[in-house]
Amino acid sequence: MRWYPKTWRARYGDEFSELLTAELSERPRSWRRAADVAWSGVFARLTSAGLTAHSLEPHDQVRAGLATLAGALAVFLVFGTALWSQLTIGWQWAEPNTIGTSAAMVAMSAVLLLFVVLATLALAPLGWSVVRRLGRRHGGGLVRPSLLLGAGLVLLVVGARHFGNGWPGTGGHHWAHQGLVPGGVAAFLWALTLSISSYWAHPGALLSFPPAEVGWMIVSPLAIVCAAVGVTKIVRRLDMSPRLQRYEARLGNAAAAAAAAYLVASSVWIVDGGPGPRNLFHAGAIDTVGLAVMAAAAAVALRTAHRACHAGTALITS
Amino acid sequence: MARTSSSKANARQAPTPSAALGTFGRYAGPATLILSSLAEGEKHGYALTKDIEAFAGVRLAPGTLYEALSRLEGQGLIEALESHDRRRPYRLTSVGATALKEHLAAQRRVADVGLRRLSGTWDLA
Repeated sequence: MRWYPKTWRARYGDEFSELLTAELSERPRSWRRAADVAWSGVFARLTSAGLTAHSLEPHDQVRAGLATLAGALAVFLVFGTALWSQLTIGWQWAEPNTIGTSAAMVAMSAVLLLFVVLATLALAPLGWSVVRRLGRRHGGGLVRPSLLLGAGLVLLVVGARHFGNGWPGTGGHHWAHQGLVPGGVAAFLWALTLSISSYWAHPGALLSFPPAEVGWMIVSPLAIVCAAVGVTKIVRRLDMSPRLQRYEARLGNAAAAAAAAYLVASSVWIVDGGPGPRNLFHAGAIDTVGLAVMAAAAAVALRTAHRACHAGTALITS
Repeated sequence: MARTSSSKANARQAPTPSAALGTFGRYAGPATLILSSLAEGEKHGYALTKDIEAFAGVRLAPGTLYEALSRLEGQGLIEALESHDRRRPYRLTSVGATALKEHLAAQRRVADVGLRRLSGTWDLA
C-alpha cells in the first residue's frame, strides 16, 4: 500500500486491502500482481503530482502542478547554479576564449536574474497569504511546512555566507568590479551548491578537505530538501483563490520556459565552449550529469506548468 | 442503499458519454469490462474480478482494476455506494450506461464489418 499516495490510500485503501487479501488467499504468490500493484501505485503518485494524462479537477491540478513545479525548479536551480558558479570562478580569473562560453555565461546570468524576478513575483502573494493565515490562527496545516522552510533557509543562508569565504574566485580578475556579477553573489551561490561535486567519486581527495566543509557538503543538500519540501507542502495546503492560482500557474509557465532557455545556454557551453584558458572552463563528468538532471527537471517543469496553466484558465472560465 | 458524496465527479467537466471511454487510454479495455460487469448490478472489487474472469476470461490485476475504477468514478460513469464492511460496492450511473451502450455499439459495428469481410473473402470453418 505504501506505493500509493496518502490521498489515494484514504479513499481506496480499505477496499483495496480487502481485495488484495482475497487475492492473496486464492493465489499467494504472483509476480504479475506484485508488479501491477507497484506500477499502479507509482502511476497514482504521478497522477497526484499532475504528471499524467489523467487530469485531476482544475483546482487540484493547479495545486499539484505548482507543487511539482516548485520541486522540479528547485532541483533544476541547484544544478543550474552549480554550473553557473563554476563558470563564474573561471571568468573571475580569465576571460573565456570562445563565443560559446561567453554567450552561455551571459545568457545564464540573464536567466538567473529572470528567475529571481519570477520567484519574487510568485512568492510575495503566497508569503502574504501564509502570514495572514498564520496571523488569524487558521494556518494549522501551514505551521510545520513554514517551520521546515524557515529552518532550511536559515541554515542555507548562514552556511553559504560562512563557507562563501573560501570562494576560489577571490583574488582573481575583478570581474565583480565591472558590475556584471557581484562577487558576494557568486561566492554565496558557489557555497550553496558546494555539494554538487565530482569529489564524491573520490573519497580519498574528499577526506583531505576540512571536516567542516565536508559536513557542509552533507548538510546543505538536506537543508535544500527541507526548504523545497516546505514550499511544496505550503502550495498544496494553502487555500488560494482561482485568480491567484491562475496567476501562479502563469508565472510557473514562464519559469519553466526560462528553465528551458537556461538549459539551452548551459548546453552551448558544454558542447561548444571548450576548456578555455588554463582549463578554467573545462566541462567535466559532473557537468554532464548536472545537465542531464537539469534536462529531466526542465521536462517535468514544462509538463506540469503547461497542465497547471491550462487548469488555472479553466478555473476562471468555469 | 445510500449513495456516497460524489461532488468531485459532479464538479468535473465530464466529456460526453460517447467520448468518455475514449479518454481512458490503456485503461479503456478494463473500463469496458468493469462497466459491462456493473451493467448486471452493483459489485465490489473482488466480485468484479471474478465476474469479469467468468464472462471475458480476463483476470484484472488489483492495481489495474482500481486505477480503472478511480477513473470511471472520476468521470461519473460509476458511483461508489456506502460500504458496510471494508468492501465497497460500485454501481453504474445513467451516464455510464449510455457511455457503455454507445461504446459497445461502436465495437459491434467494427466486429460486424470485420466478420462480414472475413466471410466474403476467406473460407474459414
